[in-house]
Amino acid sequence: MSAVPTRRVWWPSAGTVRGGLLGGIATASGMALTATSGWLIVRASQQPVILTLLTAIVAVRAFGMARPVFRYWERLTSHDAALEMLAERRTSAYEALVPLTPARLGRRRRSDVLTGVVDDLTDVVDAQVRVTVPVISTAVAGGIAIALTLVLSRPVGLVMLALGVAVCLISTLAAHLESRSLPELLAARAEVTRVSELMASQSGELRAVGGWATALGWLDEAHASLDRATRRISLGRAAAAALFLVVVGAAVAATAVIAQGLAVSTPVKALLVLTPVAVSEAITPLVDATRALARARGSAHRIDALLDLTPAVADEPRLAAAAEPGQAPDDTPGTRPGQTAYARCDVTTRALTASWTGEHTDLASTDLDVPAGSRIAVTGPNGSGKSTLLAVLARHLDPSGGTYRLGGTDVLGQPLEETRARIAVVDDETHVFATSLRNNLTLARPEADDADVERALRAAGLTTLLESLPDGLDTTLGSTGRGLSGGERARLGIARAHVSGRPVVLLDEPVAHLDPPTARAVVEDLTRLGSAPGTTGVAGTASAQTIIMVTHRDDGADLFDRVLEVRRPPSGTMSRTTADPVPHSGDRTHEADPPRR
Amino acid sequence: MKPFDPRLLRAVPAARRPVAVLAATGIASGATTIATAFALSAVVVAVVEGTDLTSPLVWLLGLFVVRAVLAATTERVAAWAGVSVSSALRAALLRRWGTVDADARLEPGPAVSLATSGAAAVEPYAARFLPTLVTAAVVPVLAIATLVVVDWPSALVVALTLPLLPVFAALIGKATAESTERRWAALASLSGHFLDVVRGLPTLVTYGRAHRQATTVREVSDRHRRATMETLRIAFLSSAALELLATISVAIVAVTVGLRLSHGSMALGAGLVAILLAPEAYWPVRRVGAEYHAAADGAVALDAILAQLDPTPTPAAPQSPATPAPNAAFGGVAPESGRVGEVRVAGLTYAYAGSPAPVVRDLDLVAGPGLTVVTGPSGVGKSTLLDLLAGLRRASTGTVEAPPSHYVTQRPFLSTGSVRQALTIGHPATDDQLWEALRAVGVDGVVAALPGGLSADLGDDGFGLSAGQRQRLALARAWLAPETLLLLDEPTAHLDPEGAEHVAALVAELAERRVVVAVTHRDELLAHAEHHVVLAATNASPVEVVREATSPSAAPRTAGEEGDR
Repeated sequence: MSAVPTRRVWWPSAGTVRGGLLGGIATASGMALTATSGWLIVRASQQPVILTLLTAIVAVRAFGMARPVFRYWERLTSHDAALEMLAERRTSAYEALVPLTPARLGRRRRSDVLTGVVDDLTDVVDAQVRVTVPVISTAVAGGIAIALTLVLSRPVGLVMLALGVAVCLISTLAAHLESRSLPELLAARAEVTRVSELMASQSGELRAVGGWATALGWLDEAHASLDRATRRISLGRAAAAALFLVVVGAAVAATAVIAQGLAVSTPVKALLVLTPVAVSEAITPLVDATRALARARGSAHRIDALLDLTPAVADEPRLAAAAEPGQAPDDTPGTRPGQTAYARCDVTTRALTASWTGEHTDLASTDLDVPAGSRIAVTGPNGSGKSTLLAVLARHLDPSGGTYRLGGTDVLGQPLEETRARIAVVDDETHVFATSLRNNLTLARPEADDADVERALRAAGLTTLLESLPDGLDTTLGSTGRGLSGGERARLGIARAHVSGRPVVLLDEPVAHLDPPTARAVVEDLTRLGSAPGTTGVAGTASAQTIIMVTHRDDGADLFDRVLEVRRPPSGTMSRTTADPVPHSGDRTHEADPPRR
Repeated sequence: MKPFDPRLLRAVPAARRPVAVLAATGIASGATTIATAFALSAVVVAVVEGTDLTSPLVWLLGLFVVRAVLAATTERVAAWAGVSVSSALRAALLRRWGTVDADARLEPGPAVSLATSGAAAVEPYAARFLPTLVTAAVVPVLAIATLVVVDWPSALVVALTLPLLPVFAALIGKATAESTERRWAALASLSGHFLDVVRGLPTLVTYGRAHRQATTVREVSDRHRRATMETLRIAFLSSAALELLATISVAIVAVTVGLRLSHGSMALGAGLVAILLAPEAYWPVRRVGAEYHAAADGAVALDAILAQLDPTPTPAAPQSPATPAPNAAFGGVAPESGRVGEVRVAGLTYAYAGSPAPVVRDLDLVAGPGLTVVTGPSGVGKSTLLDLLAGLRRASTGTVEAPPSHYVTQRPFLSTGSVRQALTIGHPATDDQLWEALRAVGVDGVVAALPGGLSADLGDDGFGLSAGQRQRLALARAWLAPETLLLLDEPTAHLDPEGAEHVAALVAELAERRVVVAVTHRDELLAHAEHHVVLAATNASPVEVVREATSPSAAPRTAGEEGDR
């Protein structure tokens, strides 16, 4: 997304410029308050007629009032501008994310990637308030101070100018030190997170094999690197904080020496000496600005790297012949009951291959024949391409070769949305939206009524949940509402797919994070969805939904009509996985369950 | 939210030093700031009166250098303290979870977030809020004390007006509490909306709702902006009011000083010191208010972590008051003197937290050398029994005597690092020993074929290995383990009949040298079992324990349809 140029995160908007100018007035008022107070005190000590002090008293009072008032105004203006920018960035980032979802978000832990985007956007916009506004404010106030001192005394003005240059150099140095050490800090933080996540979620498994002490060792190591990285990155800020005081001290001393010999009134001498002291207060926010700048740059870099990716699917039909003019693909076409596409939505592939990066083959040539209404499990070692197969079937990833037909039509000749509208995808982390249970399901098919929703919930094994909810379908779920267990979430995802009434349901390790008994129970209910009479036809369809589930465990695979084992494509060459007839465990059916007990 | 919770220092000794150093630098900085006011006023007086500047300038420069050193130290110490306190809390939290009953831990989701982002949120609290707090506690007191000596009327003004700040802040807070709370709630849901939509993007894309949400994102972001500004307006207004109050107070000091100076009843130096010192008394107090909100997340997380570290469980906790069996820190229950290596369970009852019905009730069991196979219907507590023997759970009542164990769980821990690291996570072993173990379980060929062999990266959950291969890798680790008690949960799951037979033979071989307790629902193991224990469903009380003849061909009697998988 070119709207967030990495090197220019601090580039101001009109609103932040206004905020910066207002902040400049506030900062200048603060400096003027200190300086005029000094003038006033020294003048008073000369015991003049009180009336002659009146102007100065009014000025001091005005500066004293102006500082909080303008600061308040600045904060309102700059925060409003930043939030406006945040709203814009969020919208454009969201729009940029849509075509990248889900294939370009990584293979696992997509919600973590997405959370990272949200946090990074906040950090980028934060730079407006924490970097741009203080820098403009300080520059404005500093400029005023330099100009006025130049008028009063050229040498003192030059000292102030030198002070300004020194502050610029120190800030640049600090920002450089901060940016340089940031990657190390982020890496250390990520390692601490990884290890503590491991230990918090798998302490039982670790203790069981006597690995707890080893894991504690990892944690200590990760903490030690984090400690080193934090110390290193604090160098920049420490240097800035110290050097600012040193140059201010030097400026005060130089001004004092110059002012003593000046041919100006003594109160003005006091004013001149106190001016650099007042500057010290104005430049302190710059220390924190270096930190915010480095963070924002890092965040902008990450966002750019993600949003600049090209989508994994092209939205233009590849075969012009197949493209039919007609209505533009609605968001949820094909969910109308009784449509012929439902009756026979066979999934057929021939010599289908795919690659995530284009560099090596992730899915070896695959022939697949899944008749409408059948249920197949896809297994195989990690890295064998089973998730890749699913991504291609779901039209998340364009195949690199071969054909893929859905209900007899080559999907590559179809508009993307049209194909996707016939497929429901359930992944390993079902997202529960912070809305009612009803809305969580009807988002899959807005015209579904309560009866459809309840039927889907019961079919997915959520009868107990439904009956335990005080507000029934109106119960708010998600981050602000009732929490769901892992099993309930997986079932919710399945119920959603069921409500959608789409003819094909693809499941990508939906039970990967569940304990084995729960996983099996979920899969049992899932496979029953298609087969048992009376539980189907949520959308009024005649035939059952076609279910294709990827799993890396064997749990429940025996419940499927067929098991397809995908083999890892040998590096470089292309092997051939033929899925029909099933190559591995024989054609398992319910009737011919292998004698296991 | 408490500004500072002394429980932190009690529960996490590692946090004491950073907090102490923070306090020390805070006090030193405060003292130098006050000394600078004197030096500065001396410089101004010298400039104004045309006297020798050398001595006051040397003092001033010296003090600026000291302040510079202290400022750098403060930045460094704050960063170090932040990361030390947060790391110490995280380590204490995880160490604690490594010793408590599996049921006494949080759910995995909240546990992970508390150990990761929760502990990290404490960092800004310790790095920014605590130093501010120290300064606010020290500097105003030092400033007022100095003013008492230099110019007591100014000290009086400051001492009388300073308490107005917190009072004023509290009044503003109270007056706006209700609307603020209402706004925060609205704000929380609005600010959560974008995260919710973005995290749910894969779902929205699947069901073709993603593009439609773009306008909603814009709308909600705008509403979020307005709601945030409402909240911020109050916060900024109250902070502006406090600043104004402080400015007025300083102005009162300045007016009294000015009047006395113009009457000639006060020396210029003292007057300058008074007006330079007076603001120093107010700003630290104002800063606490400003940092207070930034630190709120950290304080909440700190509270949650300290609650976890609290050695006494809360009264509401369903933990049984009965003293649990003595438990080693990890890896099993300390053996009682006497029959070393034997597992003795007497009157064992265990209920999951929050569940009134025990899953294991009044169980007696003795498992000596050889293979003991436990079967029973799903949900009967077979895995729980192994957890109890391994010391991962503590008996509600009854006793468990078991030597340190090696326990192959249903989903054995295999993630991250190389094959070598996975196999040596519990105990070190040479490569030769590793290959021997891999040969014994029959995956030496698979590992040899991996790029890098023993150094091959397994990745999350064993990349490139099938479930059966991962299972065997876990058994290879068990083969290497020196513990005399081996606990196996469904060791032949994920294996084809041939592989299962191979593993069963391997388990039998392992049982020649140690006590092996295995939970299974498959036949292969029963054929090798010396003891067969059938756990009956919980409604039959007490649990029926059947000890069969020590015969390798003991007819297996399984009690249920599906295994406890």
